[in-house]
Amino acid sequence: MTAEISIRGVTRRFGAQAALDGVDLDVRPGELLALLGPSGSGKTTLLRIIAGLEWPDSGTVMFGGQDAMERHVRERGVGFVFQHYALFRHMTVFENVAFGLRVRPRAQRLPRAEIARRVHTLLNLVQLDWLADRYPNQLSGGQRQRVALARALAIEPRVLLLDEPFGALDAKVRKELRRWLRSLHENVKVTSVFVTHDQEEALELADRVVVMANGRIEQVGTPAEVYCTPASAFVHEFLGDTNRLECRVEGGRALLADGTPIGRAEDIMGSAIAYVRPHDVTLAPAADGPGIIRHVHAVGPLAQLVVELGGVEIDVAIPADSWARLGAGRGDRVAVTVQAGTLFPQRATRGIPMQPLLPASPILSLVRNNTVYSGRPIHHPE
Amino acid sequence: MRIDVNQPRPAPAAAASAMSRRVVRVTESAPVRWALTAAALGFTFLFLLLPLASVVVQAFAAGLDTYLSALADPDTLSAIRLTVIVALIAVALNVVFGVAAAWCIARFTFRGRNLLVTLIDVPFSVSPVIAGMVQVLLFGLRGWLGPLLQQHDLRVVFALPGIVLATVFVTLPFVARELIPLMEEQGAEEEEAAISLGASGWQTFLRVTLPNLRWGLLYGVLLCNARAMGEFGAVSVVSGHIRGATNTMPLQVEILFNDYQIEAAFAVASLLALLALVTLGAKLLLEWRHASELAATRRR
Repeated sequence: MTAEISIRGVTRRFGAQAALDGVDLDVRPGELLALLGPSGSGKTTLLRIIAGLEWPDSGTVMFGGQDAMERHVRERGVGFVFQHYALFRHMTVFENVAFGLRVRPRAQRLPRAEIARRVHTLLNLVQLDWLADRYPNQLSGGQRQRVALARALAIEPRVLLLDEPFGALDAKVRKELRRWLRSLHENVKVTSVFVTHDQEEALELADRVVVMANGRIEQVGTPAEVYCTPASAFVHEFLGDTNRLECRVEGGRALLADGTPIGRAEDIMGSAIAYVRPHDVTLAPAADGPGIIRHVHAVGPLAQLVVELGGVEIDVAIPADSWARLGAGRGDRVAVTVQAGTLFPQRATRGIPMQPLLPASPILSLVRNNTVYSGRPIHHPE
Repeated sequence: MRIDVNQPRPAPAAAASAMSRRVVRVTESAPVRWALTAAALGFTFLFLLLPLASVVVQAFAAGLDTYLSALADPDTLSAIRLTVIVALIAVALNVVFGVAAAWCIARFTFRGRNLLVTLIDVPFSVSPVIAGMVQVLLFGLRGWLGPLLQQHDLRVVFALPGIVLATVFVTLPFVARELIPLMEEQGAEEEEAAISLGASGWQTFLRVTLPNLRWGLLYGVLLCNARAMGEFGAVSVVSGHIRGATNTMPLQVEILFNDYQIEAAFAVASLLALLALVTLGAKLLLEWRHASELAATRRR
């Protein structure tokens, strides 16, 4: 499959600071790609370079096999949706959407009636036809965003680029608009790249996620790939909640500083960082267990706990019913099992999966939340 | 005190009205507010309305016929014509310079940008008389470029070009000063959006940049126009006071005044004041007619 956009060795410096440092990336036709990273990771710069609003110091950008660097923004056929929408404030919604069709050279310009028809079709697509005569300042944030999208789609772009498309909206509207954009993309099928710093947004919306940090790409993959098999410590920390545990690996076991074992790992030795997601930790009642419950927040479907283990505090999230069955409270001792994790040895670029201490057999995993280790009867709180 | 348990509670409405009586004004006390209002109105009356009214009263003191004949005087008519011509040229040049300068300053960062911003303010900080002197120094008979101009039989000083140059110098900052903060606040995103939608540079400028600037531009033009018509000091130096040829309205007022033609002086003065009022009236009218659109372009 040939890439719709292929980026090779793109570098951009602002003074001494490298905003982008040798970035290679392929965008596939028809996909919805997320550029995800913290602020200052270079994601917006990369998007603007794809659009042609900014130029790289070195490297190339190809559109469908053709060098895009030779082409000016207006010739690239990109629809750019700005973070703050950048609607033309002195034009009505209709005029805004029609703009791209009206500024075409006379020979390529559509007849007036055809332009009006296309604009109304687009406004219907974004469900805003009834607002055609309003000015941008009379619209809500979500409506402005959709007008900006319709305006960008009007020129039938080969690529749609969105800079923090939901950044300026409140949480509820953001969630609705996210779903809506996903279904719109399924209808329109235009190759789209969007920038976001919100990992939830990227994981929910995108076909593939590009995780960026410090002007470099850390990992490219499907949401499941980047979440479950993060390629670097950064990706692990950036995507979702995680515990960062300093440990050393001896004899196939990962040990905390005080020697408490947390998991098994083959083929490595020496100090390493273990990343463990809170929901990958399970607890079991054990009066002499190594863990001590330090804090409990048990409202909602998950009980959020802080458990002290081997001198460090670990965030743990277990289902509310498991927590109820555990029957423990603050200050109680528990057995702690790390079901999964990733180990990053010093100076390693790739992570190594960490297995639970006891091999997880079907029977064990069935009774995991009960009292296998300590031999106590199942305890039900009244 | 005995509390009667059976006593009916005050109705909610009564409670509410009791509350509303205790409205707390988060502002200055009444005497301060009255004093400030009186001061503002007093100054407006004393320094703005009273002089204007006295100009009009003086102008018509000897009757309407005298007023009209004073204005019909050939020298006065020539002064009016010259003033209008100078103002038109100055405003046009100011718009071109103002838009170009504001665009450069607001859209690009370059070495010497701050210096340019400061330089634009020079005419405001320099006395107009100096502005006139500079023209004489440059283009006068004994000036740097004087001999060259004379060879080609061109007159700058004591002629229309000198008056225009002096006026342009004095009014230079008006449009640029209005536009620079406006453009900086608006940012370049709309222009980038226009270009990404396929608009050429000119299309972007004419359809997006300029419409967004039109109100700032209008204010700049009105201020510039008022100043261009009223400028006295700089023009006085370069004009040479040739009656019927190089006198603008302010100069004509002075000459008539010095000639003890008080009524005529005030007649011309009232006309000059009227021009200023018409300009302000036009601004008000436009603001009133386009109120909603104005709000739309101001706010994001």
